Amino acid sequence: MHNGRACKNGYWGGDLKMYSMLKRVIFFILLAGLWELLFWLGIWPEYVLPSPVSVGKTLVRGFQDQSLLIGVAISMKRIAIGYGISLGVGVFVGLLIGRFRIFEDTLGSLISGLQTLPTICWLPLSLLWFGLNDNAIIFLVFMGAVLSIATGTDSGVKNVPPLYIRAAKTMGAKKWKLYLEVIIPAAFPHIVIGMKQGWSFAWRSLMAGELLIVCLGLGHLLMLGRELNDMSQVIAVMLVIILIGILVDRLFFMKIERHIRERWGLVKS
Amino acid sequence: MSESVGVDDLIELDYRKTDKGQEISETNSAKPDLCIQHVSKSFQSKNGSVYVLEDINLEINQGEFVCLVGPSGCGKTTLMNIVAGLEKADSGEVWVNGRRILGAGPDRVVIFQEAALFPWLNVIKNVEFGLKLKGVSSSKRRTIALEYLKMVHLTKFQKSHIHELSGGMKQRVAIARALAMNPGMLLMDEPFSALDAQTRWILHYELQNIWMKTKKTILFVTHNIREAVCLADRIFILSTSPGKIKKEFSIDLPRPRDDNDVNVAEYSTRIMKELKAEIDKVVKCEMDADSCVECDIKCTTVEPVKTDIGGGI
Ligand SMILES: Nc1ncnc2c1ncn2[C@@H]1O[C@H](COP(=O)(O)OP(=O)(O)O)[C@@H](O)[C@H]1O
Ligand SMILES: [Mg+2]
Repeated sequence: MHNGRACKNGYWGGDLKMYSMLKRVIFFILLAGLWELLFWLGIWPEYVLPSPVSVGKTLVRGFQDQSLLIGVAISMKRIAIGYGISLGVGVFVGLLIGRFRIFEDTLGSLISGLQTLPTICWLPLSLLWFGLNDNAIIFLVFMGAVLSIATGTDSGVKNVPPLYIRAAKTMGAKKWKLYLEVIIPAAFPHIVIGMKQGWSFAWRSLMAGELLIVCLGLGHLLMLGRELNDMSQVIAVMLVIILIGILVDRLFFMKIERHIRERWGLVKS
Repeated sequence: MSESVGVDDLIELDYRKTDKGQEISETNSAKPDLCIQHVSKSFQSKNGSVYVLEDINLEINQGEFVCLVGPSGCGKTTLMNIVAGLEKADSGEVWVNGRRILGAGPDRVVIFQEAALFPWLNVIKNVEFGLKLKGVSSSKRRTIALEYLKMVHLTKFQKSHIHELSGGMKQRVAIARALAMNPGMLLMDEPFSALDAQTRWILHYELQNIWMKTKKTILFVTHNIREAVCLADRIFILSTSPGKIKKEFSIDLPRPRDDNDVNVAEYSTRIMKELKAEIDKVVKCEMDADSCVECDIKCTTVEPVKTDIGGGI
């Protein structure tokens, strides 16, 4: 809009965006006000309902003494490793299932079976395999994401128009190049759907794992809040968890999805 | 590439009915580029085997523009796929440039009815696609892609997304993408049949110019006789079920030809006349046996078409 080509549409579009943003801000301010009011009425003791101000102070303190930052860093490291591995494995397995009948009949049915199992049910197994440490949590994250990514890739591969593959073959695409240059890019919109779902499962499993296995991270901070009876820490950490979820969605997935829509022509921008 | 063959030489090469492409090559570099020998193909369906192609024999010289014409469903695409190496013949062999075809390869690029451009790449990256597979360096393939985009008059759209192009533009990108690989042969399977008459007319003109410039061997499939007359040096007529080569015609007209040229129209009418019997057969085949009245109506409506043959069979 800043290149001087702001047309009527862009102008109104910008205006509308501002307007809905404003509504959102007002809503959250009101919510905080209501919360403050409830606290002020003193119906519940402070260890049940802390004031928004004390939650804010806890947040600031957490960032100042870096305990929150360290928690965030540790959690992000775990999810980055677990999710990264599951991305590689999930796409690979999805390609196998999508392209080869034999894997569809075997691995495919295994995956649809495993998908009915809530990820946290892997915890006991994970503890026995890896012990009480990082790897157990990373494994949980991995199990949370890998199935969604594999099924997303599988459906993407099955939806690649055969014409693309034939066209690529007549231009000399063979074997892994066919996968790398045609099948994966053509399946990408579906892979992203799987990745997005996988991310939310992974994030949940990470928190579950950190709550149950005591070894740092955001989930651990949350649990610590409970043990210290420090409700404002509990809520502060919850807010951080929500915030990270929103940020990843906005900064990563929404960008990719918009890029895909523009490329594929699913939306006029 | 054999620069020695002038455009005029190619046009004046009259059709020679040789079995092995008799040593024409001595004086001219016109030698058989594509040899289709005794190719047959059937498909298994619920009601048994369907014989789609039966004993197809064809020879196409280097730099020649050949059209295959036949009613839809007669096996044109199947034959094209076999030549492309995307499908296997039940029997028979296909030779390209002295080598037997065993699979798909970048020496014969196919241009499909739907352009088959990749939506995840922009126009120029689509044109570069084959070169990237070949391992051409990125700056070099950009240069080559631009050259061919220029040839199809689309340099302005090099950064566009595929969905932003019209049908005719998409086909031109597909042609540029194929040419960029510098294949000896282009296989075109009804590439213009989804386009409106106006666009098709323009593309006929452009394709002829490109062909004269690049000297590619072109095998072009269509169900439209006038399109074939407008484009081809030689036309092969395929009959239906099973598909067989029924007749061939040489078209001796100066280029670039125009869809609406009198001579083109005249040639079309002549070919159409000879095909009348075949058309009637197709019409009868496609109508139910019991709807004879309708069939008669259909047959009589086919006749006046003689004056407007462009519509295809
Ligand atoms: N994969 C296939 N399986 C079964 N039948 C097929 C297959 N491909 C083509 N056919 C049949 O072969 C015939 C010729 O098809 P095609 O080559 O596409 O014709 P054309 O391109 O001339 O319209 C049609 O009757 C079609 O139904
Ligand atoms: Mg066809």
